[in-house]
Amino acid sequence: MKNNLEYKGMLHICLLIICFLVPPPYFAHFPHGHCFKTSPNLLLPQQQQISGTVTDDYGPMPGVHVLIKGTNTGTFTNLQGEYFLLVNNTDILVFSYLGYHNRELPVLGRTTLDVQMESEVTELQEVEVNAGYYSVKEKERTGSISRVTAKEIEPQPIVSPLEALQGRMAGVEVEQGVGITGLAPTIRIRGTNSLRNDGNYPLYIVDGIPLNSTPLQSGGSLTVSTGIDPLNTLNHANIESIEVLKDADATAIYGSRGANGVILISTKKGYDKQGETSLDLSLYSGISEVSNKVKLLNTEEYLAIRRKAIENDGFTQEDVYAPELTLWDQNRYTDWQETLFGGTASMTDVNMAVSGGNGYTSYRFGGSFRAQGSVFPEDFDYKRTTANINLNHRSKDNRFKLDFSANYGVDKNRIFNGSNFINYALTAPPNAPPIYKGDGSLNWENWVVDNPLAVLEQPQDIRANNLLANMALSYTIIQGLDLKVNLGYSKLDSEDMIRYYRERYNPARWDKIDLGTAQSATNRLSWIVEPQLMYQRHWGKLGMDALIGSTFQDNRNSYLNVSSTGYANKSLMGNLSAANEVRVLGDDNTEYRYGALFGRLGLNWAGKYFLNLTGRRDGSSRFGPDRRFSNFWALGGAWIFREKRGVQENVPFWSFGKLRGSYGTTGSDQIPDYGFLDAYEATDGVGGLYPTQLYNPDYSWEVNKKLEASLQLGFINDRINLELNWYRNRSSNQLVGFPLPFITGFGSVQANLPALVQNSGWEVQTETVNIRTKNFSWRTSINVTFPDNKLLEFDNIGQTSYDNQYKVGYPLNISMVYQYDGIDPETGLYRVVDINEDGRYNSEDRQVIINRGRRYYGGLGNHLQYKGLSLQFLFEYIDQDNLRNVFGAPSPGRYGNGPVDFLNTWQEPGDNAHIQKLSQSSAARTAFSRAASSSYGMEDAAFLRLKNVSLSYNLPKAVLQQIKISAMSVYVRAQNLLTITPYQGLDPQGGRSSVPPLRTITCGIQLNL
Amino acid sequence: MKNIWYTLLIGICFAQTSCEDFVEVDVPDNKIVSETVFGSDETANSAVTGIYNELFKADFSNGGLRSVSLLGGLSADEFWTTALNDELLEFGENEIMAENSYNLPLWSSAYNIIYMCNAVMDGLERYDGVSSTMKLRLLGETAFVRAFVYFYLVNLYGELPLILSPDYRTNALASRSDAQVIYESIISDLETAISNLGDSFLDGQRIRPNKYTALALLARVYLYRENWEKAEAASTQVIGNISNFDLLNNLDEVFLANSKEAIWQITPAGRSLSYTTNEGRILILTSPPPDSQKPVALTKDLIGSYADVDIRREHWIGKLDTEDEVYHYPFKYKVNSADEITEYSMVLRLAEQYLIRAEARAQLGKIPEAISDLDKIRIRANLGQLSVIAPGINRSALLDSIHLERRRELFTEWGHRWLDLKRTERASDVLGSIKTSWQPSDGLYPIPESEIDKNPNLEQNDGY
Repeated sequence: MKNNLEYKGMLHICLLIICFLVPPPYFAHFPHGHCFKTSPNLLLPQQQQISGTVTDDYGPMPGVHVLIKGTNTGTFTNLQGEYFLLVNNTDILVFSYLGYHNRELPVLGRTTLDVQMESEVTELQEVEVNAGYYSVKEKERTGSISRVTAKEIEPQPIVSPLEALQGRMAGVEVEQGVGITGLAPTIRIRGTNSLRNDGNYPLYIVDGIPLNSTPLQSGGSLTVSTGIDPLNTLNHANIESIEVLKDADATAIYGSRGANGVILISTKKGYDKQGETSLDLSLYSGISEVSNKVKLLNTEEYLAIRRKAIENDGFTQEDVYAPELTLWDQNRYTDWQETLFGGTASMTDVNMAVSGGNGYTSYRFGGSFRAQGSVFPEDFDYKRTTANINLNHRSKDNRFKLDFSANYGVDKNRIFNGSNFINYALTAPPNAPPIYKGDGSLNWENWVVDNPLAVLEQPQDIRANNLLANMALSYTIIQGLDLKVNLGYSKLDSEDMIRYYRERYNPARWDKIDLGTAQSATNRLSWIVEPQLMYQRHWGKLGMDALIGSTFQDNRNSYLNVSSTGYANKSLMGNLSAANEVRVLGDDNTEYRYGALFGRLGLNWAGKYFLNLTGRRDGSSRFGPDRRFSNFWALGGAWIFREKRGVQENVPFWSFGKLRGSYGTTGSDQIPDYGFLDAYEATDGVGGLYPTQLYNPDYSWEVNKKLEASLQLGFINDRINLELNWYRNRSSNQLVGFPLPFITGFGSVQANLPALVQNSGWEVQTETVNIRTKNFSWRTSINVTFPDNKLLEFDNIGQTSYDNQYKVGYPLNISMVYQYDGIDPETGLYRVVDINEDGRYNSEDRQVIINRGRRYYGGLGNHLQYKGLSLQFLFEYIDQDNLRNVFGAPSPGRYGNGPVDFLNTWQEPGDNAHIQKLSQSSAARTAFSRAASSSYGMEDAAFLRLKNVSLSYNLPKAVLQQIKISAMSVYVRAQNLLTITPYQGLDPQGGRSSVPPLRTITCGIQLNL
Repeated sequence: MKNIWYTLLIGICFAQTSCEDFVEVDVPDNKIVSETVFGSDETANSAVTGIYNELFKADFSNGGLRSVSLLGGLSADEFWTTALNDELLEFGENEIMAENSYNLPLWSSAYNIIYMCNAVMDGLERYDGVSSTMKLRLLGETAFVRAFVYFYLVNLYGELPLILSPDYRTNALASRSDAQVIYESIISDLETAISNLGDSFLDGQRIRPNKYTALALLARVYLYRENWEKAEAASTQVIGNISNFDLLNNLDEVFLANSKEAIWQITPAGRSLSYTTNEGRILILTSPPPDSQKPVALTKDLIGSYADVDIRREHWIGKLDTEDEVYHYPFKYKVNSADEITEYSMVLRLAEQYLIRAEARAQLGKIPEAISDLDKIRIRANLGQLSVIAPGINRSALLDSIHLERRRELFTEWGHRWLDLKRTERASDVLGSIKTSWQPSDGLYPIPESEIDKNPNLEQNDGY
């Protein structure tokens, strides 16, 4: 430590810079003497007049609030930006203006104090971005990291925090395809890397603890496909920021788990307010309904079509089975969509947090409660309660630091086990029998299938509770060298129970029905220990940031699946001791262990050139004994080639320029545990063992190589920020559940594939401050992504089971379909081309390739502010195709309702119709289903959706001070308010047969005491 | 200063070396590795018990909606579809799409059982913790089960991939072998079973095959191959084993667990809820159709084939009167739902052996002997003895009565009717006259489309 003196000098300069740049709460950490040594009469307690001018980049600012800290005394600047105030020498003045950083300045005997206010916007480049094990300034980052903060997250009435990312980030696809609360959204960061469906989850890290991102298994038919989101129990109002790491430079430090990107969630911390305690309270409530319904045939139209079909087939009504024509009321009409999912759901959300602290310790305690109904008939709802604690402490000498956070959440989701419910709403004949009898009980008479509401009598309860606790201890051994240990513990327990009530069945069978339940319980327990050593040093212009650490992680998952029968009474259902018979259908216990050594070396020269080297050696228990370890690394660099910020008139047009690039490898071990074990499990029947999978001891790590180049530009004092990214990720050695024909005994085996998948694309992101005047500001952010997914190589694909699923040179998300050939002018039925003319229609004829992925997508966010009034709205746009709506219906003329398109069917030769002839024949059915899997089977499902609108009003501070409230706002917020799309089905994203996303409108109030 | 660095470096290196051990995990408590399974008689025996347990779960053999019994009955003229169910309708109309979602589990569950047999055979050879007597028996049992599954596969689908090892690497690309080759494998497996297995049932339960079980299936295989002598010989051995088997006079007791008529049964011990056999659960109609859980009823055609005096109609066929229609259903299994298991699902029974021998003998010209076998069944059904009514019956008329008797005796059991119509080449005559959509190529089900998609060497059957 030879250059100790020089170092100290630099430290002072740094501190000085920090004093001006960092928001005020931190300012108070530094003893006054450091910054303002020159003040002569520091301690004189006398009253004096102080005056000054408050300015920003554009000149004097009127209406700035000037307050003596800790009192109610204050004033506003006049039209010339001047203020006059009587103060004590020891007072601290607080200057505040909406959209600008508060500034706190001590009087220190001065009589004039001119203040330059800094807009929150210019700070963008200075924001510290969380990169996981370390953090970097936005300006200096070498990796691709996107970020949303509480400001964007809070105004959304959502359950899963991930929904907040929808439309806000380039390269991040989030789909909440189904309008059922609590289901896991699909999230893809820079496309689909793995051929394995369940191998594309990003890594979730909450306050440093990795969280299993696999959705929770759930047996219900509404929940089975997507599963339950493990992040549901995390209160999104308690999230400070979500960072998404995308490129190699940012993700390689997560090594084998970084291939699909990393999502870092940081919860809110307590703010040190010099002994003051503040209370935040927010409350909102609102209503939701499904955002769309489709146009279906009414009774008259439907019956006419049925009669015509029977006539076309040369039959009479008596020849065929047609209860709608023979048995049911010919005039009855039920709007089944309205009946089955047309309800209005209400929601209420309350959030509270207390925070405060003194110079060394700060805290934040919070809690929330949320209740939300459903759009389905009867009482189904979602309830969530959360609590969180955040404690930060540092020792007097600033060497020891402790951060502790704990988040606990309990949720209860009550839905029902109704397979086919939506399909029912779309295809039940409009004159089907009434649902209820006069006495209010379900009507079963004359239904040819089960009464559609019967499924409501098999309610499903999903409960989860989740504890996430994290403690980070750090100690500065010597200046610049810190030892840090990160300890994490997470426990997620989830229970799922379906009750089969007697009312679910036809009363004629009630005497045979045994009350039963299907129950499952999932427990996920994990701990992590990550000792780390960090070293920071400067040599002249060279700065260095180094980090080395290791990870020990243990995850234990258990899953128990039980069915029980023979309950004497409805109210006992679920209590296994009251069941006559309990059967264990599955009892899985898995353990996953993961160990790693990782490091990072960051270098920078004069704040202009940055180099970042990261590496990780990983071991995972998911691989066979000889294949457990692998190395990953990445190199990133950045060059700030222009950085010119002017003051006032002296503003250059081009203010910032940065080039950035990275290359590296990451991997994925998202495969089931124990796939390498040749093992047997117990059968349901007594005393038996059976093999449950094919085993392969030889599979090993899949490798994802990521390359990225990026250009960042800032104009007019960074009022316009533009970022252009190009990326290319290549995944090789793909780990898949290799689909096998069932003749091998099973449908798949865990294996590495000789396949190379490339995800490349362009991402454009702009942030602009369009207007910024004293009272009005308007900011816009736009992001657009052009993804390109391609299967580059696949050795001998013709000799594998993938031959009919993938094509080299095409995206993974394709369908291989028949060539559509219009409607046969003779028969009036759909035709597809028999390419090899062998008289059969099979995979050899399905040669047309349809891309089912997104062509491009983007988001447009706007934030307008006029005095205390603020309006935020976000549009999401996706260009894609989806399954053609008409093919979701039974073939035209058969039993079951269809879309209004069926009114224009082929009638006679020469017709130019789009819908084939009305007929019930098996030939018609076959033709219809072939056309559905033809090039005609998809339609344009591009859409523009007004995803989120929030209008809020901050009450003027002057008013609030009278009632001792420091801030208060009221707001109206809406989700999925409007969707513009040519798509004919229920939802362009969810498709033709899932509950469309809910349209939600809420009103609320937010208070800060 | 330096010391700190060294300490830390050493610390981290230590952390790394301990990583190697850290990522070792134990085998979870719900799994047993093969080496352990085939390390003792007891666990190896459990692996075979597992196969019988899984036969009750496997779609093709569980008697449920996707079973040979139900789908075969629809394809022939035993069942009709009373509920809206396109998948079943396709079987009923013999217009099965290659994508039919009931066809795939029928096929895949059968091959899953074959995998289990192959895995046990492979495990017994690879590890040597099992005693030689146990090994012999287990090899015999798995050979029998494998032969049994292939018998159904070859009859339903024709040419097949012949999978005799558990190695998916080679199996994944297997192409179809001639039916002849499949039958040779079946016969060879059955001969292994006959030589390896003992004479008696284990623990008094008719769940695990013995030598006679294998002989009974062999008799049927020879009948299908029209090797009349061997069919007669094999069935004679089974019929002759009177200490084990007998025809029960009380028709209501035939399908009880371990009834003396049973040659092989599947136990519903692994059932879910309070049902016993799927045949009892699904086929017995308790409320007026349509009911998606109970989507089939017996055809008028079948009901019409019974003479008035035939007591099978009363004992084995149930009736549900509704306002518009009378529905008939199989009532061989009496228990629709119960807490206790009293019935097992019948796979092979003695009555069929008499009918096999009668047919083989008739083909061989041994008319009086054939009549006497057939009469055993007729007497029990309260029908007049042919030896009395028509002792001079000619061979072809006798064969016709045997086939009629097979229909009436074995209805809705394991697709007998469907397979009989096909092997005797009467399918087109019989089904063509009652089903408008019948085509001669409908005799074989389509290979499931997804299987062809996944295995480029698999060819589709004609007509699909």
